[in-house]
Amino acid sequence: MSSKPAPEIQLTIDGRPVSVPAGTTIFDAARINGIPIPTLCHQQNENPVGVCRVCVVDVGQRVYAASCIRQVEPGMTVKTSTEQVQAARHTLIELLMSDHPAPCARQQHSGDCELERLAEAAAIGQPRFPRRATPRGKDDSSAVIAVDHESCILCDRCIRGCDDIRHNWVLARRGKGYQAGVAFDNNLPMAESSCVSCGECMVSCPTGALTNKRVVGTELGQGDVLDPTELLHLPIFQNVSGTFLELNQKAVVKRHYRAGDIICREGEFGSTAFYILEGKAEVFLSSPMAHVRTEGSSKGFFSRLKSMLAPRQQHSRSEESNRPFIPIDASVDLPYDSPIAELGPGDLFGEMTCMSYYPRSATVRAKTDGVMLEMLRNVLDILQRNKTFRAQLERTYRTRALDSHLRSVPIFASLTKNFIDHLRDRVELVRFSPGQVICRQGEPADSFYLIRIGFVKVSEERPGGDLILAYLARGGYFGEIALLSGSPRTATCTALDHVEVVRILREDFELMLERFPEVRASLEKVAHERLEENRRRITQIQNLPVDQFLANGLMEAQSLLVLDLDRCTRCDQCVRACADAHDGVSRLVREGLRFDKYLVATSCRQCRDPLCMVGCPVGSIRRRNTLEVIIEDWCIGCGLCANNCPYGNINLHPFPVELDDPDHPGRMIAGTRVKATSCDLCHDHAEPSCVYACPHDAAHRVNPPEFFAGLLKQSSPLNRS
Amino acid sequence: MLIDQTHRKWFLGSVVGLALATVVYVPYSLNSPQGPKGSSVLGLIYGSVGFAFMLFAGLLGLRKKFPVWRVGRAQTWMRGHLWLGLVSFPLILFHGGFHFGTQLTRVLMWLFVFVFASGLLGAALQHFIPRIHTAQLPMETIYEQIDRVRGQLAQEATRLVDQCCATLEGEVSGASERQRAVAASAGANWDVTVASGLQADEPTSNELRQFLLTEMLPYLEKAGPRGVRLGTAAQAQAMFRHLRVLLPPNLHSQVDDLENICLEKRQLDKQNRLHRILHGWLLVHIPLSYAVLLLGAWHAVVAIRF
Repeated sequence: MSSKPAPEIQLTIDGRPVSVPAGTTIFDAARINGIPIPTLCHQQNENPVGVCRVCVVDVGQRVYAASCIRQVEPGMTVKTSTEQVQAARHTLIELLMSDHPAPCARQQHSGDCELERLAEAAAIGQPRFPRRATPRGKDDSSAVIAVDHESCILCDRCIRGCDDIRHNWVLARRGKGYQAGVAFDNNLPMAESSCVSCGECMVSCPTGALTNKRVVGTELGQGDVLDPTELLHLPIFQNVSGTFLELNQKAVVKRHYRAGDIICREGEFGSTAFYILEGKAEVFLSSPMAHVRTEGSSKGFFSRLKSMLAPRQQHSRSEESNRPFIPIDASVDLPYDSPIAELGPGDLFGEMTCMSYYPRSATVRAKTDGVMLEMLRNVLDILQRNKTFRAQLERTYRTRALDSHLRSVPIFASLTKNFIDHLRDRVELVRFSPGQVICRQGEPADSFYLIRIGFVKVSEERPGGDLILAYLARGGYFGEIALLSGSPRTATCTALDHVEVVRILREDFELMLERFPEVRASLEKVAHERLEENRRRITQIQNLPVDQFLANGLMEAQSLLVLDLDRCTRCDQCVRACADAHDGVSRLVREGLRFDKYLVATSCRQCRDPLCMVGCPVGSIRRRNTLEVIIEDWCIGCGLCANNCPYGNINLHPFPVELDDPDHPGRMIAGTRVKATSCDLCHDHAEPSCVYACPHDAAHRVNPPEFFAGLLKQSSPLNRS
Repeated sequence: MLIDQTHRKWFLGSVVGLALATVVYVPYSLNSPQGPKGSSVLGLIYGSVGFAFMLFAGLLGLRKKFPVWRVGRAQTWMRGHLWLGLVSFPLILFHGGFHFGTQLTRVLMWLFVFVFASGLLGAALQHFIPRIHTAQLPMETIYEQIDRVRGQLAQEATRLVDQCCATLEGEVSGASERQRAVAASAGANWDVTVASGLQADEPTSNELRQFLLTEMLPYLEKAGPRGVRLGTAAQAQAMFRHLRVLLPPNLHSQVDDLENICLEKRQLDKQNRLHRILHGWLLVHIPLSYAVLLLGAWHAVVAIRF
């Protein structure tokens, strides 16, 4: 992975000899050496495109060069502010101003329209050129961002922000000549487009073409509102755009907490993250640490199933997880045996809730009096892109969380402290936006990844579409197969939401395998299991006309409750039996997809592509090696898996528990807590209750590939003839 | 329940049982000087076995009340109910020597005839109607949810009509703006493009609203198709054809949606009807069956004791 440093290039800028690495643009070379060059279309965090030409410089050639895209050359002589260059810039700005409704919305609100400031600096008053005759209009459809096409100077900063930085691919150019402008999707009004209102275009825009609307719901109530100057004094906000902070003044507030105050509760849906400035907080799970156990004697005439909460100590299931830590939405994980941890100054929590709107994963309570910053997504996003803040976050992670994070993965439990110390300064925290590819099938493997935040989709490219192999959550890891075998990547890993991974480079990974043979053995075992599972799945898919079932998701199922509608009298005995077997909470609904004369009832299909697992804030839903879905003890009952299941097959089962009385500290009151449940096939019985109770021989649990293959054989015209 | 090849064992068992009973009954009947009687040994055997079969058939109700009980698969119970119930009738006839007797026994026998007939009717209905259900009702929903789905259809229809009316009345200015912009950019005269702009079409939107209020909503909100023109497929087609003539082509997809809503409502009505037929006979069969069992038990006690 080591690369040679680029050779230095000597050149002269405004008479000053300067030396910069090859590949540097003239603009950057000048900036590094303190020589300002005005620009409009170029921003530090975007790829330069050189469309506004305001940054033109004289490089001694026939035409002036746009300094933002022109790279330095040995012996080059650059003049940035000769009279001719300034005259050219003057004309360009004047031309842009002739189409710009000065003062634009941004200039009116915050006085920092970049074009108007340049015009003012260049003493450009009334432009000599006529205005455009055809109006380009405004788009007021969005609730949060006002679009004024009249103010747009076609610098494409918003387009690059949307496409290159956020990968939303909503904005693009439209029209030609005087009608040219930016468009959302296929030139739709912003509110009707696929825009996610991330605000990147607004922050990128140098003029008033895209401005912030002050609307209800984007401001945090209560707390001390900090003005931009105060915020910029906080170390974490250094280098953040003042304009952005100005536009989003109430999107970050300072809150004071007394010891014992609850800051957020597990399972709540929120949209903010917290950054601890002073004091300590404890993070814990108040949900019972137990899984839902449904049991009943398989013998005896009148045996009933009974659902109850059973912790691991009382009841262990096959292939029980041996994870010693529970992943939560904070810099630390919670030990399974005592799910409580402490957060201190510099810690950030609630990132996943804030960025991806997942439910809160744990309850946080102030341990001492303290001060915290609560912020909305746009502020956190800007912070995440701020190098100062990133550096601090990484420092905190390396010193406090790397250890427990690595140890939370059972196969790394044997790593010694020395080796973790060795890794501490070498691992890299890398962020990925939703949809971004982390590693691609067929590429050479150079790293091993451990997920810190978010969900990763592992898929394999197949003729006819991608085959989803797995979804991985915090604590999950990938990239080991190619590193172990020395082959190219066997699958593509894509960020499903805002993902942060810990990247361990190939050299360190190999060193780890060399020094810890037991880690190598465990990894090889996992890699083998994963490859075998993938192979089995592909074989199943290949043996069937996949396209007929893929659309309905039937091929993704491992077990289906199928009702033969020609036999079914719609008596609902199956539903009643299921409810009877699970304390009155039915885990099936007699409605769903129809295939020929069969109804695929709404009951857990044990999907191969278990979307229910995406988003679990505490990673408590997983599947066994048999692919059966299992919900771990630390389910907080937030219901996200139930919402995510596309087939409505997960239910929330209430259980009576004792809860802290909020009005009388120290006292307990009776209450209920819910746990997610899905069809367990009444595994204590020989046959699921729904099938057993069907008087008409209409309900059957089937293996979809076998069942539908048989069905197709029967109905195929070839077979009939 | 579909009576098919899977019932072969039960069918053969019943036929053999019945044949045996008949083989025994014929000489018994011919050799009895006063004809076969219920109080004879054979008569009592026929009566006891027949009543035991009736009891077993009657226990299906209890089995269904507690579906989770592991006392045999429900379909075995159902098959037993069907075939043993069927065989019990000739056995009881053999028991009484094909006489209905007087007073209690007469009442009992007539009740049993009704139970038997209603059972046969139910078996036939459950054999044929699920297939009709499946073939003719692709939009079938859960029976208990029909009212709720009807409400949703009414909401959807209102939303669609509002959308059409908004297009006809309110969005004309927006449409003409776009039209003007396109025409102007193509070099057309401003006044010409203004003159060609669409005019608000209030009479049409009023007629559409009237259709919603007087035809669609009453049909969608009411269970059943009676007294409403949209309840009949042919009349509904004619009405929607008229709407298509009335409305501009860009709103025809909404008219298609409205027509589909009516189609779904017709299916819900049909489902309602079929469901009642499929399960309605139980209103006769179950109470009469309990009456037969109670009176049968009473008859047994009285006959044995006195």
